[in-house]
Amino acid sequence: MQRRWYTAGAIIAGFAMLATACTGGAGSTAGGGGTTKGEIIIASDQPTSGGDASDGLPAQNGIQFAVESAGSIKGFKLTFKGWDDTVNGTHDPQKGAQNIQEMISDAKILGMIGPNNSNVARAMIPIANRASFTMISAANTNECLTQTFAYCEADTGTTPAKLRPNGVNNYFRVAAADTFQGPAAADFVVDTLKLTKVAVWSDNETFGKGVADKFTAEITKKGGTVVLRQDFDTKTTNDWKPFLTDAKNKGAQAVYAGATSGTKICIPRAQMKGILDAPYLVPDGGVNSQCIKDAADNAANLYGTVAAADANQNPDAKATIDAFTKRFPKKEDVGSYTFPAMDCANILIDAIGRAIDANGGNMPSREQVRAAVAATKSFKGTTGTYTFDANGDPTSPTMAIFQTKGSPLDWVFVKQFGVGG
Amino acid sequence: MVGSLKQARIAFVGAPIGRLVNLLVILAVLYAIFILATKIFAQGPSYFLQILTFGVANGAIYALVALGYTMVYGIIELINFAHGDLFTLGGFISVFLLPIFGLDASKAGTPGIILPLLAVFIVTMLICGAINVTIERVAYRPLRHAPRLAPLITAVGMSFVLEGVMFLWKGPFNVPYPNLLPTNGIVIGGATIGVKDIFVIVVAAILMIVLALFVSRSTLGKAMRATAQDQDATELMGIDINRTIAATFFIGAVLAGAGGTIFGLYYNTLVFDLGFSAGLFAFTAAVFGGIGNIQGAALGGLLIGLITALWDGYMESTWTQVIIFAILILVLVFRPTGLLGMRVPEK
Repeated sequence: MQRRWYTAGAIIAGFAMLATACTGGAGSTAGGGGTTKGEIIIASDQPTSGGDASDGLPAQNGIQFAVESAGSIKGFKLTFKGWDDTVNGTHDPQKGAQNIQEMISDAKILGMIGPNNSNVARAMIPIANRASFTMISAANTNECLTQTFAYCEADTGTTPAKLRPNGVNNYFRVAAADTFQGPAAADFVVDTLKLTKVAVWSDNETFGKGVADKFTAEITKKGGTVVLRQDFDTKTTNDWKPFLTDAKNKGAQAVYAGATSGTKICIPRAQMKGILDAPYLVPDGGVNSQCIKDAADNAANLYGTVAAADANQNPDAKATIDAFTKRFPKKEDVGSYTFPAMDCANILIDAIGRAIDANGGNMPSREQVRAAVAATKSFKGTTGTYTFDANGDPTSPTMAIFQTKGSPLDWVFVKQFGVGG
Repeated sequence: MVGSLKQARIAFVGAPIGRLVNLLVILAVLYAIFILATKIFAQGPSYFLQILTFGVANGAIYALVALGYTMVYGIIELINFAHGDLFTLGGFISVFLLPIFGLDASKAGTPGIILPLLAVFIVTMLICGAINVTIERVAYRPLRHAPRLAPLITAVGMSFVLEGVMFLWKGPFNVPYPNLLPTNGIVIGGATIGVKDIFVIVVAAILMIVLALFVSRSTLGKAMRATAQDQDATELMGIDINRTIAATFFIGAVLAGAGGTIFGLYYNTLVFDLGFSAGLFAFTAAVFGGIGNIQGAALGGLLIGLITALWDGYMESTWTQVIIFAILILVLVFRPTGLLGMRVPEK
């Protein structure tokens, strides 16, 4: 009998520890400043523990930094709270949906920054929309999240209108849509690298396949040829050598990969050694330190597109970048979406400030915050000046191109240019 | 049970509708083979030889893992789901051991790596063996007389435990494995057969031959075969079946550990949940060849490696998994016991 009590005690203690661990894992909080009116929480949703953590953590750092730097807004204390959308090592739409429900249930949270992945956004937007809850993403690039195309229904199973059941837009982003990213890489191959024959592979996911298809369309339009195209189930594929050998035999001068770090984007690069000596191009899902590690001794000659401007090219951002580096000193703390995510958080904080004013200095409603974000005009961030169009897209998005260079190898800025607008 | 299954199958294959379905499936497979053959012909022999090399090397790794599944199933009729993760753990352990034995990328391709690498192989294999024997002792032996589902679930549980341990140890990212083997190769008929490919195939072949000899010639091998046939009678003959079963787990894990190390040396990358997909394919290979049958597992692994490489190399890789499992279904419909037949006691 006594033994049974011990067992029960041990189980309860175990659950208690688990519960503590979970609360700890839900997110770290930070804040400060002169605060008398109460607390406003800025939430974030990023993949901060899985295979995509090499993108998610640097973005979360940018958001946390923005909230910490602001400290307070018009008498309200600002606090950061981060959610993780990773399940079993990879970003998960259901987890994202669960996270946003938790955020909505907390009245102190007036908006969130994220998510990182387009398929997660697709699960989150309708839930947030019903609650007029503002979302601003730094890295979602799938065009069907904001723009209506004939193929959206077939390719993604939904349309911007279906994602917004209450009819009013609550989702904004600073990233350039994939309608620009694939073509930007294709233009770079033809115009800058002066190559025309390319082998293309994708991870067969919404983002990867979409960006690979748009790359293919643009390079064909420019007179180039896709000599080989394959879509892989990257969960079960370890060997890209047959594909690469085929590409070499068909005369490929470059390889384009539509995938992310979580779907082994740069593993084939390592396998190219000894088979095909040619440039390897990746979209923003591969412009990170994990890609360089995965490409092992073949990491040189990699090119990548990022759907946002590089903050380092903006002289006005230098003080902010220095302060960020002081707060987050490690090399892997910063990534290509750190500063875009920081800008998103600052856009939200700025809008909350205007919403407080509109509400006579009191805690604004979520709808007031949403309207203030939509009304954002020429907001000067570290990566550019942002105004949102009716769809929630930036009116003047930027694409940047990076290349691996130096010793030790790292991503180095090549050029950036405005797209659309 | 086996009899009624056989009857059901004969009734289905014999029925008019069954015959039609079979005919259609056979036609579809013949058509696919025809397309593949024309493509192989069009792309020339050197490319074919190259793809074949990748396929055999890949298949050799699957075969090593498949052997562990098949040996354990053969002796206690348990599908040891943790086996794929043990294979991954083998890779993780060896990547941990490499610097201890003074191996790093700077020594790549030099003759000096041979002895330390051999030591890494042996230590990894022994550690994996010890872990698997512990797993058997903790999670399977207490359930040996429990209903069949209970050890199956503990096996799934052990799989998650091992994945969790590796996740905590190395994190969610791809773990780089130093490229130690020479990257050059020999050119035969326009195809480059890499030293790496030869290494994988030769090491796997040696291990499999040693295993086959061990099981057919040694006393312990004889005890294993006896235990597989009838545990009670074996025990009556004075054979310690606990020891025999533990030895089976040990040998299976030794091969998985070697497989993990070979995988790391060949692909130069590992990830904590690699065992799930690798294990699934290896298990499929074991069923393909006839579960419980050692030669069958080797053949099944080789076939899966070859089909994957041929399909990836000539056709659309989106369909590779579909093709593998379609062929598996076909083989099982016509040969329910796998290509070389099951080696399971009739009950």
